[in-house]
Amino acid sequence: MYQFLTGPMFWIALAVCLIGLTVRVVLYIRGLNWQLDRVAYRSYPKLGIIGALRSIGYWLVPFGTRGWRRQPFMTIIFFGFHSGAILVPLFLMAHNQFLAEKIGISFGWTLGTGTADFLSWSVIVCALLLLGRRLALAEVRILTTPYDLLILALATAPFITGLIARYELGNYSFWLTAHILSGEILLIAIPFTKLSHIVLFFATRAQLGMDYAIKRGGERNAHMTW
Amino acid sequence: MPEGRFCNKQTIDTEESLKALLADTGGRQYYEEMNALDVDHKALWQTIQKTCKSRLRTWLDLCAHCGLCAESCFLYLVNDRDPTQVPAYKIQSTLGEIVRRKGRVDNAFMQAAMETAWAKCTCCNRCGLYCPYGIDMGVMFGYLRGLLYNQGFVPWELKIGAGMHRVYRAQMDITDSDFVETFQWMVEEYEDDYPGLNVPVDKEGADILYTVNAREVKHYPEDLAEAAILFHLAGENWTVTSSGWEQTSLAMFAGDWAACKMQVESVYAAMERLKPKRMVGTECGHAHRATVIEGPYWAGRKSGKPPVESIHYVEWLAEALRTGKLKIDPEKRIKQPVTIQDSCNYIRNHGLKEITREIMSHIVAPGYFVDMTPNREHNYCCGGGGGFNGIGLFRPQRNKALITKRDQILNTGAKLVIAPCHNCWDAIRDLEEEYKIGIHWSFLKPLVMSMVIVPEHLRPEE
Amino acid sequence: MFTKILLATSATPACDHAARVAFNLANRDQAEINVFHVLGIPTRGYSQNVLDVKTGESVIIDDAYIDRVIQELKTYYKLQLEQTPNHRLRAVIGLPHREILREARDYGSDLIVMGGSTGDPEDIIYKRNMVGSTLQRVARAAHCPVLVINRPAASFWGGISNVVFATDFSKAAMAAFQFTLKVAKELNAEFHIFHAIDTGAAPLAQLPPQDDIDARLREARRRIMSEYGAQLEGHHDYTVEVWEGIPYMEIVKYARQCQADLIVMAHHSRTMDLAEARLGSNIEQVIVRANCPVVSVNH
Repeated sequence: MYQFLTGPMFWIALAVCLIGLTVRVVLYIRGLNWQLDRVAYRSYPKLGIIGALRSIGYWLVPFGTRGWRRQPFMTIIFFGFHSGAILVPLFLMAHNQFLAEKIGISFGWTLGTGTADFLSWSVIVCALLLLGRRLALAEVRILTTPYDLLILALATAPFITGLIARYELGNYSFWLTAHILSGEILLIAIPFTKLSHIVLFFATRAQLGMDYAIKRGGERNAHMTW
Repeated sequence: MPEGRFCNKQTIDTEESLKALLADTGGRQYYEEMNALDVDHKALWQTIQKTCKSRLRTWLDLCAHCGLCAESCFLYLVNDRDPTQVPAYKIQSTLGEIVRRKGRVDNAFMQAAMETAWAKCTCCNRCGLYCPYGIDMGVMFGYLRGLLYNQGFVPWELKIGAGMHRVYRAQMDITDSDFVETFQWMVEEYEDDYPGLNVPVDKEGADILYTVNAREVKHYPEDLAEAAILFHLAGENWTVTSSGWEQTSLAMFAGDWAACKMQVESVYAAMERLKPKRMVGTECGHAHRATVIEGPYWAGRKSGKPPVESIHYVEWLAEALRTGKLKIDPEKRIKQPVTIQDSCNYIRNHGLKEITREIMSHIVAPGYFVDMTPNREHNYCCGGGGGFNGIGLFRPQRNKALITKRDQILNTGAKLVIAPCHNCWDAIRDLEEEYKIGIHWSFLKPLVMSMVIVPEHLRPEE
Repeated sequence: MFTKILLATSATPACDHAARVAFNLANRDQAEINVFHVLGIPTRGYSQNVLDVKTGESVIIDDAYIDRVIQELKTYYKLQLEQTPNHRLRAVIGLPHREILREARDYGSDLIVMGGSTGDPEDIIYKRNMVGSTLQRVARAAHCPVLVINRPAASFWGGISNVVFATDFSKAAMAAFQFTLKVAKELNAEFHIFHAIDTGAAPLAQLPPQDDIDARLREARRRIMSEYGAQLEGHHDYTVEVWEGIPYMEIVKYARQCQADLIVMAHHSRTMDLAEARLGSNIEQVIVRANCPVVSVNH
């Protein structure tokens, strides 16, 4: 099982994820239409790029926009979740060693153990708080569907199983396998679900940034954060 | 039942059908017929497949259901945080559903969608500023309105409004000669006070082409006079056009994109005919949005811009004050607590927030200007935008929506509210009528008129 | 003297006296009378709703509604209309002052007749944000004389034997003078020219010395003769008087003394000065206080 999961399954999962995400981005861009969207994308490349980068940039910074600032609790658990969710899979030492073995390259820099632990716990705690928020706030509850809960579960499972394995609780082999399996399920799910926001976040933000920059006031340098 | 006499999928293209629809007082028969109007599922789905592309689809699919948009929406806040007023919920339960069901929705659904699209959203675009993905539900509701309009599920007054643009190229039954006549009449009325005042019509190569809101012609022609006087005092080389003079677009509120195109093309034709250096619009928000911001796309202009540089009235006014073309008597500046309404169509959606404040710095004595909270691009809709002001069926909802602005104004302690936008002006007037908080409200033109210094050579002989 | 009279009426008792005078005039001069009524004010943005001025309710206007209003007008003025066959009736929507001016222009009236304040409920919202009353705005801009009958006591238009013309020596006053001359000649009336020196409501300490005032009185008389004298040649029955005080009060007193049947004045024609409009110009006060009809002439 372990061999299978770290062998062919790994390649399949990774390929599906990367190719899938690329396809999503390409389809997204191809489906843009300057006239239907009412944004003259190609006519103002410089404005467009600046707008896109600004839009992405401001929202990637905690409290960087009024929206974030008005929702401090959400901002903290959001960034708490995502910082771990992004950094740990990419920069965990164990993952990098695995990658080095399989592909021959790794990211070079890795997280210290303490940091990695902290971030992983952060993911789980913030996920629980996000779940709590979903159930406690009426304005979120009305939107919440089982699908949202599934996505949260899918994204958090690797961290839970990962930490259990890391602390060597119970049967190490079992939890490690579970961890790899849940990770690969996640990878495969990414392009087909809302998890594709991994790239589409950048795409939609860029699109809106271009919209505002090109059409809705960007040329005035109005210092708005869209 | 196929189609009603009044409520159907056809557009109003003749004076006859327009008058007939108007005669159905309050849309009584129209709304009755709407209960039997069929949904053309095939056409609906085809339209969606053709026009609902990446941007909208991704917005609908990607929404994380995080609910951050709730607090950004004034209708959510003013309706006691009713969860069904959360923007994401509003759009997912209407457009989202239509897309998921591939257009297979029924009459009841479409009527509910109509109420959501026209009574639960004013397309103020504020939610787009607060969504981490940048999902602009205001834009999506605009799109939904288009779908509903095509299927015939549109409020009575807006079907008429779109019809007006189709028949008269203006939001009211004002002909080109009515327009020119009225402008000339206004000049006559004021020429004694401003010798040399005149209104050039169809002058080629002028610096400014001035476009208006048809209701100024119909009910408030003083506005035209004030505009003429201010251009005259500023020494501007300006003109109006005998055709293509209407800047507004009820068709935009109605979701009638074809009529939108026709309307803006009439203005662009005037620009191309008269070749002014710039076009200046009157104090109206949605007119600017329709003709200057969105219009070029309806007309297929790749540059995304009208044929000539087009600015909002506040931009011209700020420039005139800044360069000294218009000089203000400091003694006559506003000396009572005053605030300004940030109209979404040119503040949030065109970045003119500092321009209006620049004007304030000229016309208000120091210490009297109070900003609303929040303000600028984060300010709330007046409560009457997107056509809300005129729809009888949704009047109660509109009146409730005014509370947000009412409370903002009360919090500033201002006695005067400046509203350089016809819709906002109307909403604030209605707010005062409904809630009687004791305020006055005004456009910029009359205020500037009351304090502008008339240059020596333009003063009347005594 | 008149051929087309525009009676701007609210079709309520407030305008009864104005209506009576207007119909009398029409009959005397064989003029056509246009009974004109603004029935509602647009109230819902671009929609078809208007605020009915009588009921204060928001209604949707259609042709049937307008017909009903015209029927009401016909009923209200039944007697007068029967005696004045040369008439027409119009009911429109819009802001009253604007529609009256529009109708006057389109119709080509040579006289507008209005009543005083209609006593609208305070909370009719359009009034809140307008500077100046309907009367002020009409009188300011009308191109024909505006005859105002404000009080029952001021509604007599039987024989006119005494006309008072009050001048402020403005350009509009010249037009008012010429109108008065025409009226006086046609009706063979006595013509009284009056000017008030504005000593205002100044406290005692700020009043100029009486010698100064006397000098100004003399100066004013001279000016009256020099400005209007030439045109008065041939008209034997006129007097000239100049008093000091608060102008509108002096005019009213002088008219009472002359037993005037008509006062003619120029409306202050400068662009609406906000502060001044709120206080009310002289002519407004004269209209409100005089014992006879007042005509405002600008052109």
